[in-house]
Amino acid sequence: MKTLTYTSLLGIFCMLAEILNLRKFIIPIALVALCVIGGLTYCDLNVHFEPFFSDMLRVDNFSTSFSLLLIVIAILLIALSYDFYTAQKDKISDYISIIIFTLCGALALVSFSNMTMFFIGLEVMSISFYILAGTNKREVRSNEAAMKYFLMGSFASGILLMGITLIYGASGSFNLATIAVYASGQNPDITFYIGIILVLVALLFKVSAVPFHFWAPDVYEGSPMLITALMATLGKVASFAAFYKLFAVCFVDAGSHFKLVIAIVVALTILVGNLSAIRQDSFKRMLAFSGVTNAGFMLFAILLPNENGGSALFFYAVAYALSSIAAFAIAIAVSKFSGSEKFDAFKGLAHKHPFSAILLTFAMISIAGIPPFAGFFAKYFILSSAIKGGYFWLAVFAIINSVVAFYYYFKVIIMMFSKPENEDSFSPNFVYITVASIAVLITIIAGFAPGVFFIH
Amino acid sequence: MSLVEITFLILSVIAIGSALMTVLSKNPIHSAIYLLICFSSIAGHYLLLNAQFLFIVHIIVYSGAIMVLFLTTLMLLNLNEETEQHKPAMARLGALVAAIILGLVLVAAVSKTATLMPMNNNTVDIGSIKALGKVLMDEYFYPFEFISILLLSAMVGVVLLTKKEKTTVA
Repeated sequence: MKTLTYTSLLGIFCMLAEILNLRKFIIPIALVALCVIGGLTYCDLNVHFEPFFSDMLRVDNFSTSFSLLLIVIAILLIALSYDFYTAQKDKISDYISIIIFTLCGALALVSFSNMTMFFIGLEVMSISFYILAGTNKREVRSNEAAMKYFLMGSFASGILLMGITLIYGASGSFNLATIAVYASGQNPDITFYIGIILVLVALLFKVSAVPFHFWAPDVYEGSPMLITALMATLGKVASFAAFYKLFAVCFVDAGSHFKLVIAIVVALTILVGNLSAIRQDSFKRMLAFSGVTNAGFMLFAILLPNENGGSALFFYAVAYALSSIAAFAIAIAVSKFSGSEKFDAFKGLAHKHPFSAILLTFAMISIAGIPPFAGFFAKYFILSSAIKGGYFWLAVFAIINSVVAFYYYFKVIIMMFSKPENEDSFSPNFVYITVASIAVLITIIAGFAPGVFFIH
Repeated sequence: MSLVEITFLILSVIAIGSALMTVLSKNPIHSAIYLLICFSSIAGHYLLLNAQFLFIVHIIVYSGAIMVLFLTTLMLLNLNEETEQHKPAMARLGALVAAIILGLVLVAAVSKTATLMPMNNNTVDIGSIKALGKVLMDEYFYPFEFISILLLSAMVGVVLLTKKEKTTVA
């Protein structure tokens, strides 16, 4: 509760800071304040709270862990914006406040216990993303990304609202606990199932799972790179936490009718994401498709709601989000230097700046799922629970696909370690290196001590 | 027939008639005016149901804001009868089939709806502004406040997207 309130206040402060002539201090203030909020959130771990505000929000270990992860992601990305927006100093207050509002929406998505909070949280996050996607006004592809995302996202929101309406009509409540009692009761009404299907469709859209993934590559490619990183990490993690809360905790009995559908979506998501990623020559677009594939892996947690499902999802989210941030940080530095987001831009990076090449290599290895990094254990936990849950065929399919995925993750690594075409010296801003180092460090810690990141 | 029923019938006739005229009239401006009448009569229905808040919001949002938007768009586009294109035969056939199928769904829905819920007279106050305000500021206090973040984000976004690029004055 206090996490969300304080973050909202911080967002409002950042918005007003321009009036107070504090433009230079916005980013340091925001970073310090987010660290404090993170510390306060950390104190909530293992403390039992009663529901807040007539059961609008519930704080438990699941929501606190995800809130912490989201705050860490926000801190790293706001630190990146220090250098990313140097050319647009006059807009920095708007950028930072919208990014913090996005975080507010994401925080609401991990701790809601009422459908109204869920919907408002999702809208706060989505609307901020629509705006941020279009901030590169002079670039036609950025305009296209914003328009596409806005139109399709609005439709998804409409479908979601219709689903919530039908669920309300059947169960008579917006409250998750009441809905859960209704869902596990005798013979829920047919409108309840239709409502669940509509909510499922909308959430699959938001996490870019396969029949609804068509927006993702275009939007990710068109948006400014920092925003792409924000969407691929913060947006995806928060949507998955909400997805898990609804389908693995609330609708769990009624949702079991859709197991086969979700299993097929998992298989398609992993396959299509992989096959599309292989053919890309743009690093950003490749990461977008890799995000689709990783969404497929995270969907396993929704398929198999068990005691450790929340932990497995959280661990996967930590591994995926931090590896992606490290990759994006280096990619932003490289593309800023060379003006290109293609794979060729990375050619000879190991000779020009070995440390950033090593960081990017670690990030790629972690996403690809090679030990000792967190990505390997994330995939291991997810797949072992899938095998225990009786989805052996799906687990084998996923393993084959993650071997195929090595191809495009290693394409970047091979590019970096090949001979450079020119002798340009490359010296990225220390911010990028610091952020990437912190992110890689966390994935290494998570790889060696996975137990730290479990939700108890 | 009670006074309420007579008012209901009059409002219904106006609403259906003006809705039909919206679709049928050739002149887009006339269509917009008929739509305004339709909205107003629906607002009257809300008042009959004692939903005061919905009545006010409907008048402000639909009859006010959306109508102005429609009329401005019509003015900007300068739509006339002459510019209306003649629809091809296939499009007409498709529209006919779609209309028939939709009609079937409507008939099925109406015939399957066995019992309409009787109006509960004990909760007459359910749609009043007072009752709504109490629920909003009590049970739904947190979402109500959180919506302000949504509006703020949208407003800051508009400022961000319309700000001049590269101001010369530092």
